Amino acid sequence: MSYSGKSVKRLYDDKFVTGRSTYVDDLKVNALYAAFVRSTVPHGRFKVSKEDALKVKGVIAVYTGSELNQIIKEGIGPWTTYIDPRPWKIPKWKFAEHETKYNGEPIAMVIATDKYSARDGADAVNVDYETMDAVIDMERASKNEILVHKELGTNIGYEGNFNAGDVEKALANADRRVEVEIGNNRLIPSPMEPRGIISQYDGINLTIWYSTQIPHFARSEFSRIFGIPESRIRVIMPDVGGGFGSKAHFIPEELAVIASSIKLGRPVRWTATRTEEMMATNSRHNVFKGEIGFKNDGTLVAIKGTLDVELGAYLTYTEGLQPTIIPPMIPGPYKVRDLAIKSRAIYTNTIPITMYRGASRPEATFIIERIMSTVADELKMDDVEVRLRNLVKEEQMPYVNPFGLKYDTGDYPTLLKEGVKVMEYNKMKEWAAEERRKGKRVGVGLAFYLEICGFGPYEFAETRVTEDGSVIVSIGGTPHGQGTETAIAQLVADELQIPIEKIKVVWGDSDAVPSGTGTYGSRTLAIAGSAAVASSRQALEKMRKVAARSMKADVEEIEYRNGEFVHKKEGKKVTWDAVAREAYSGREPGVTASVTLEGDVTFPYGVHMAVVEVDDYGIAKVKEYRAYDDIGRVINPALAEGQVHGGGTQAVGQALYELAIINENGQLAVTYADYFVPTAVEAPKFKSYFAEKYHPSAYLTKSKGVGEASLIVGPAAIVRALEDATGKRLNKTPVLPEELIK
Amino acid sequence: MLVEPGQKAKIKVKVNGVLHEVEVEPRKLLVDFLREDLNLTGSKVGCDTSTCGACTVLVDGKSVKSCTMLAVQADGKEIVTIEGLSSDSKLSPIQQAFKDNFALQCGFCTAGMIVQTHYILSERKEITEEEARDLIHGNICRCTGYQNIINAIMDASRRMRQ
Repeated sequence: MSYSGKSVKRLYDDKFVTGRSTYVDDLKVNALYAAFVRSTVPHGRFKVSKEDALKVKGVIAVYTGSELNQIIKEGIGPWTTYIDPRPWKIPKWKFAEHETKYNGEPIAMVIATDKYSARDGADAVNVDYETMDAVIDMERASKNEILVHKELGTNIGYEGNFNAGDVEKALANADRRVEVEIGNNRLIPSPMEPRGIISQYDGINLTIWYSTQIPHFARSEFSRIFGIPESRIRVIMPDVGGGFGSKAHFIPEELAVIASSIKLGRPVRWTATRTEEMMATNSRHNVFKGEIGFKNDGTLVAIKGTLDVELGAYLTYTEGLQPTIIPPMIPGPYKVRDLAIKSRAIYTNTIPITMYRGASRPEATFIIERIMSTVADELKMDDVEVRLRNLVKEEQMPYVNPFGLKYDTGDYPTLLKEGVKVMEYNKMKEWAAEERRKGKRVGVGLAFYLEICGFGPYEFAETRVTEDGSVIVSIGGTPHGQGTETAIAQLVADELQIPIEKIKVVWGDSDAVPSGTGTYGSRTLAIAGSAAVASSRQALEKMRKVAARSMKADVEEIEYRNGEFVHKKEGKKVTWDAVAREAYSGREPGVTASVTLEGDVTFPYGVHMAVVEVDDYGIAKVKEYRAYDDIGRVINPALAEGQVHGGGTQAVGQALYELAIINENGQLAVTYADYFVPTAVEAPKFKSYFAEKYHPSAYLTKSKGVGEASLIVGPAAIVRALEDATGKRLNKTPVLPEELIK
Repeated sequence: MLVEPGQKAKIKVKVNGVLHEVEVEPRKLLVDFLREDLNLTGSKVGCDTSTCGACTVLVDGKSVKSCTMLAVQADGKEIVTIEGLSSDSKLSPIQQAFKDNFALQCGFCTAGMIVQTHYILSERKEITEEEARDLIHGNICRCTGYQNIINAIMDASRRMRQ
């Protein structure tokens, strides 16, 4: 019996296809509804008048920051598991009291009996503003003429220098030097389910149903912020309709919902409208400006420049990652060792920025792949040839990159050569050239990526054998669409040699799962999967002891295979189920094993290719998208492929259509209808391949990660294909029709 | 129907075969009526611009985004939601095809996708991949990249022709 390696059908799909799924907004709780009044200025002092709102039918309360902040004791802070706050300048971030820092910031809260009345109430709240000078543009903010937070004395939240080797010498010795400017504009992650929360406080215990990727971190953050011990807080993650990194941070609206439920002693709920969701999570927006040096044979020898990352008005839980992860990943899979990168994070009077699928690796990959393509263009070299010249070779593995990151396993040049063949790159390039001769604007482009994923520091898993021999596996990972629960059940079924139908995977409830970190950064199968394998191994060992006890034998005499414990000498057998029942009869009843598995990063890699066509109006379409990846051992190919498809379609959005326009008043000037999340018409046809000879991670599962691959490399491949189609040089995403029609 | 401010309107509507005679606020959206008053939470609210299609239902056999219609406009009509597409815990061929083709990830768009597919395939049994893409483009999915959804629609149309 072997489940691993097969495209086993997702275990829990029935509820989704029949409409019985339960997201936060579907829960029936006797709760009041919250609505928020939002700032209409990017920076200013304000005064709220509640009187009119309190007269609205159904309105129960109107709260301002000064009331809510008596309960919200601490502010929102950075994710200290991954972000060292010491070099940062961090403003206090609670519910706005007298001064608003961005257009759209919540400045008052209305609680009512139903959601229509709550909205009526919010519309009836009167606000007087005294506007202050605001700075919307990141470059202008970096000059510190107008400050977002006066008390910080600067808009630069972080500044760090990432230096390796001797960049000046390397530039001086280079055959050629070229200036580069590479950037990503502001995006909106846009999971299909907008964020939502229900909070219930019974005077002692706080129960929170929350659309989140990180229920356990949420519990500890809420404990810190509200001063309630973790034992009295239960965070439940119901079905979650996508996250893409956007449901791993906390916003003042959510803290206000919790605070109001404590204040009122009644459950309160809030589900963001799509418009609110678009204001709750913006991401990306960064610019790299610098100079590169290379030899005439295509060897890249130096990268020097400044990376500016926008923060928006506050430092969110996750955005502190970007300015510190992008620079060390800029060398990517290439041998270049002389680099000097100044990394800055800049506050502006705009919606705070958070991480989005790939978080830092898409930015780093776009920078280095644009650099590779620039070298190719300058020297009139082939894209594949220039990359082969620079890729780290297999015999250099494990390779320590110039910033100290240790690339674990891989054979980058071989994968590139295989990928070119499997994806029929050369054939497609010739076809596109032929089409262009006929007058069509068609192009083919590829890009390579090296990803860092499988982030620790740890993950929890528990394997519990129940009385009838079925098994409950509790994981600290928190899948919300990826289907990782099915892959983990496959691994556990193989480990315990029992049918997969006997296994139930549980996650996302801080009372049911004692510990956990969550699902983000393409980590779940590697680290939570390995933790589940480890806890299952220990549970099996405990079962073996019970079997030995029941057969009055020594543990060493008992062998386990295919659901049976066998006495090696005597040949006696006891079934798995019988041993499970036996386990509940003696002292210390039950069989449970739990682990906290520590783990470190791993590095998947691959090459992706896009085929694009640009029409007479400059509107581009990605017609085909092909991927060839080494993601370590593939546990469920169909699930892995699904990640490539989904990330690839988000890459199409980032490269061509999606742009969170912020106008001169700091207002988000785009609705969901014109933000253009790709539909089935814009989505390409996919072909996804995984390297047959994979390079394993150090994790028990031997898997690496695939959740973000396509969004990490896709934009670079698509932009390269656009260059091939149009002959233009492009350097930022999204590439809009007006640039292509010129 | 004339309703004074603050008054409710009486409607008669058949949902998944069950007749309901109820009073609703005239401004209440059909999707909120289904979700809040009838507890049919299978239809989801994914946007506020009638863009995403997660709330798609059938109104007298035609697919409608139930956030674009008021509950009072459904007076006298027959509505089918995702909950009405399968009975006795047996999946419909379309639901089965979505499951078999890995056509969902987070599942939030799935109800709308399946109802829309039901509508598409009730109008025409034969369908090309390109037509399927065009006919489902009012339903947004952020997870799957659509290829498996298109595969599911093609698969379901084959199953329904057999």
